[in-house]
Amino acid sequence: MKRQRKPLLALIALLVMTMLATACGGNNNGGNKGSSPAPASAETPSSSKASEEPSPSASNGKLVVGFAQIGQESGWRDAETASVKETFEGDPGFELKFSDAQQKQENQIKAIRTFIAQKVDAIALAPVVESGWETVLKEAKDAGIPVFLLDRGITKGNEDLYVSFIGSDFILEGQNAAKWMIDELGADAQVNIVQLEGTVGASAANDRKKGFEDAIKDHAGYKIVYSQTGDFTRAKGKEVMEAYLKKDKNIQAVYAHNDDMALGAIQAIEEAGLKPGTDIKIIGVDGIKPAFEAIAAGKMNVTVECNPLLGPQLKQAILDTKAGTKLEKWIKSDEDVYSGQKAIDALPNRKY
Amino acid sequence: MANLTASVRNIGRNPIIWPLLALALLMIFNLIAIPGFFSIEFHDGRLFGSVVDILKNASPLAIIALGMTLVIALEGIDISVGSVLAIAGAMGIFMLDGYPTWIAILAALGIGVLCGLWNGMLISILGIQPMVATLILLTIGRGIAQLITGGRIIDTTSASYTFLGKGYFLGLPIQAFLILIVFALLYVLKTRTAFGLFVESVGGSKTASRYAGIRPRSIMMISYAIVGACASVAGIIVSANLGSADANNAGLWIELDAILAVVIGGTSMRGGRFYLGGTVIGALFIQSLTTTIYSLGVPAESILLVKAIVVILVCLIQSEAFRKLFVPVGKKAIIE
Amino acid sequence: MNRLTPRISHNNIVILATLLLLIVLYGAGSVQYTGFFSLQVFLNLFIDNAYLIIVATGMAFVIISGGIDLSVASLVALVSMVSGDLFAHGANAGTVVAASLALGIAFGAGQGYLIYRFQLHPWIVTLAGMFLARGISFLISSESIVITNETYVKLSQHKIHVWGQNFVSVSVLIALAVVIAVLLVAKFTFFGRAVYAMGGNEKSAALMGLPIARTTVLVYTLSGFCSALGGIVFTLYTLSGYSLHLMGMEMEAIAACVIGGILLTGGFGYLIGPMLGVLCTGIIQTIIMFQGTLSSWWTKIAIGLLLFLFMALQRVIVMRKEKSRNPVSSMNSPNSENKIVNL
Repeated sequence: MKRQRKPLLALIALLVMTMLATACGGNNNGGNKGSSPAPASAETPSSSKASEEPSPSASNGKLVVGFAQIGQESGWRDAETASVKETFEGDPGFELKFSDAQQKQENQIKAIRTFIAQKVDAIALAPVVESGWETVLKEAKDAGIPVFLLDRGITKGNEDLYVSFIGSDFILEGQNAAKWMIDELGADAQVNIVQLEGTVGASAANDRKKGFEDAIKDHAGYKIVYSQTGDFTRAKGKEVMEAYLKKDKNIQAVYAHNDDMALGAIQAIEEAGLKPGTDIKIIGVDGIKPAFEAIAAGKMNVTVECNPLLGPQLKQAILDTKAGTKLEKWIKSDEDVYSGQKAIDALPNRKY
Repeated sequence: MANLTASVRNIGRNPIIWPLLALALLMIFNLIAIPGFFSIEFHDGRLFGSVVDILKNASPLAIIALGMTLVIALEGIDISVGSVLAIAGAMGIFMLDGYPTWIAILAALGIGVLCGLWNGMLISILGIQPMVATLILLTIGRGIAQLITGGRIIDTTSASYTFLGKGYFLGLPIQAFLILIVFALLYVLKTRTAFGLFVESVGGSKTASRYAGIRPRSIMMISYAIVGACASVAGIIVSANLGSADANNAGLWIELDAILAVVIGGTSMRGGRFYLGGTVIGALFIQSLTTTIYSLGVPAESILLVKAIVVILVCLIQSEAFRKLFVPVGKKAIIE
Repeated sequence: MNRLTPRISHNNIVILATLLLLIVLYGAGSVQYTGFFSLQVFLNLFIDNAYLIIVATGMAFVIISGGIDLSVASLVALVSMVSGDLFAHGANAGTVVAASLALGIAFGAGQGYLIYRFQLHPWIVTLAGMFLARGISFLISSESIVITNETYVKLSQHKIHVWGQNFVSVSVLIALAVVIAVLLVAKFTFFGRAVYAMGGNEKSAALMGLPIARTTVLVYTLSGFCSALGGIVFTLYTLSGYSLHLMGMEMEAIAACVIGGILLTGGFGYLIGPMLGVLCTGIIQTIIMFQGTLSSWWTKIAIGLLLFLFMALQRVIVMRKEKSRNPVSSMNSPNSENKIVNL
């Protein structure tokens, strides 16, 4: 029996060593990987070195910013992440701590607790849901760390827990989509609309639906004949659209809560032998590059921009707060509606 | 009378009859509830209609489920298929950038088989529980797919590649033929070679088969490699259909549907006999259910609920113990 | 007696490996990152993972009995949703807690009944349960419900100071209580021993006269209860009900069990393991967050590697054991059937 135990212990020692090696190896690889898309890769070694020095914020005067991102579920989100990374990693006065929550609120809460433990100078949070932030944001407040919300808000009544919300107005986006459609087709037209909803429960889906439906309420001719979730993905958008076209082809407009679903719907419409963009108007939200390409090809009509490039605005807000300036509670991002020639003109400049 | 009941009971014992019955019931329901469900149009040399769509959209699920049937027959499971699908799709689209289509397809298939072999190695050589062994790839897989795509959705315009997901042949979508090809290959493997017998035997009892001279390890390796290949075929179909690869969302939760399809198809999760035809019917049933729900316009919120109830019902009907509840005790005594 | 001693030591070795890993990871983090070596960072692991510890411990029981429960994550979401809805209709905290627990118990017992009575595979039944629970929470509302009930808010924000400024939440105490209670149940009750026997070999257990039916139903009931309790703790954690909470958490719970040395073939495992497993994955996550430049897939890949190494370790132990028992059969059979015979 004793003979047996020794090699086992050796094995465990080996295991632990490997683990340590992989943990560290993983870190190094990831450090390079994570920053490689950003042009500021030269800054990376210095910033990772900084984290090893005692209390970075005190010693070299850098402002440490913790950013709790939702995940990488779409091209839009990647553009936002890249914008924030570029902004802060390109500036020697800042150090960015980035955490990716894989679409899970509990991971974001953990990230914020970690930021508090690291005594960062500011926390940026893109909340995955609206509710459930009171406890942890209160802890941040107690620790005296200003919190900024990016692109999505939190439940009303907690305005004292954060400094500013930087982002778009989803309800307004829904209204803009409806407004464009009504302007285009005429206020009295008879229009059957298919709505492709985002992920059930997501605030972008709820608000874009609400804004749109409110805006067409007063126009009796505009009817949403079908509304179903497409999970914000191309595949689901296509499948849902296909199923509906089998039943009824008498529709004049498709309103998708994001461009990816709109692109899926376009494929389904083409495969059913109709012309997207002419027979059926296609309205998307987000303003991703492929949507602009589709507009240029005449397959899509309009995309309501939802700007992900929030990095510069966030940086400005943090600097203002540190300087003691009072900020607006809601800093709206610069956004536009793109259709037709305007979209074609804008295409070469689209970053995401 | 007793004869009749006995023959009914014999039919009832044939595992394929239950999924077939469920599918038939669903179709009858559709015939009544959804006007135009069975109407098929023919234009541009293609067939259009809900039924054609079901064939088309069921293909990734059916192909994965066919592979899954083998490992479930081995008393195993592979929950990494969704991740492998994402990896293969990402690989295919990635390779199209600079290489001809056939190389991209081979690369996608190759990486799928590799994933399958990795699973097979963990399970057969290290002897790790199938569910946990494949849990590793389920966790890591999407990370690998994201490494390939660089974390964004990549697309392609290659017509020859997207043909595999959008094309039509003889008026039917190409996917229908792909299901047929995979089914035929596995069916030949099952009935014309000893492999099928070996799988059933190893699934029934490893120890007994080993004494009978079968090598469970290689049978398991081959089976998991086949699942990997099936998953990568599905990955190619999905990425070709959309002309893009999405590392995060492609094939999400498909492992659960695939396992359901196999079980509905009459193959027991406890291993042993397996039914490829039943699996295809199971997959078609699941896809028809989804299409039915979409066509009916059931609110998005209750889709999962409907699915849960149908799954429980189908599984209950398949359970011998449940059916016995409805056979009066007296008659049962006579029959037996 | 001689036969029993090596088994216990083998068992301890997996636990010890986990514990050692925990210390090494924590040490590595402390050396590398400022602010990592503080009591609060360690306590945060418990605060942030209290619900997972509870759910994983319940899951461990099911796994030891030879089954699996995939419905846990959805059940947690359902409990959070039901709590939110009941509060919105003016219920008080006591009612909500009672209703949550009753829901979990009923849900678990129902699954256990289906599994035993109709001989359905636990995978399928709990998979349907997962759809069902998620589906019901969607039906209640697709939007998140904020909980403003005073008792819940107070419980959620109450800090129990451990040492100086360092604190834990009420949930941590609940989680620790669950772990201790389950340890006692496993060790000192007839039910606990029956679970181990059943997981080892159901047929032998039945032949020994153990009540398989009752044990099966009870095991899933216990898991349902733990999920409900985890649900309450999670509701306290986020103070909201949301139908999309914790997607895919069942796999995290299973992973925690594996890292904590619970053998997935059943019949084997020490119930403190899941907690250590949860802490391990939690520490990896914390390190990656402290690093601050890593993308999400590195968390997944690190946890995947960890899973692999621990499974390899488990396998080596089981294989060694087989070799020492029965040199002939283990030469060519590293499979589960032999293990069952040995246990």
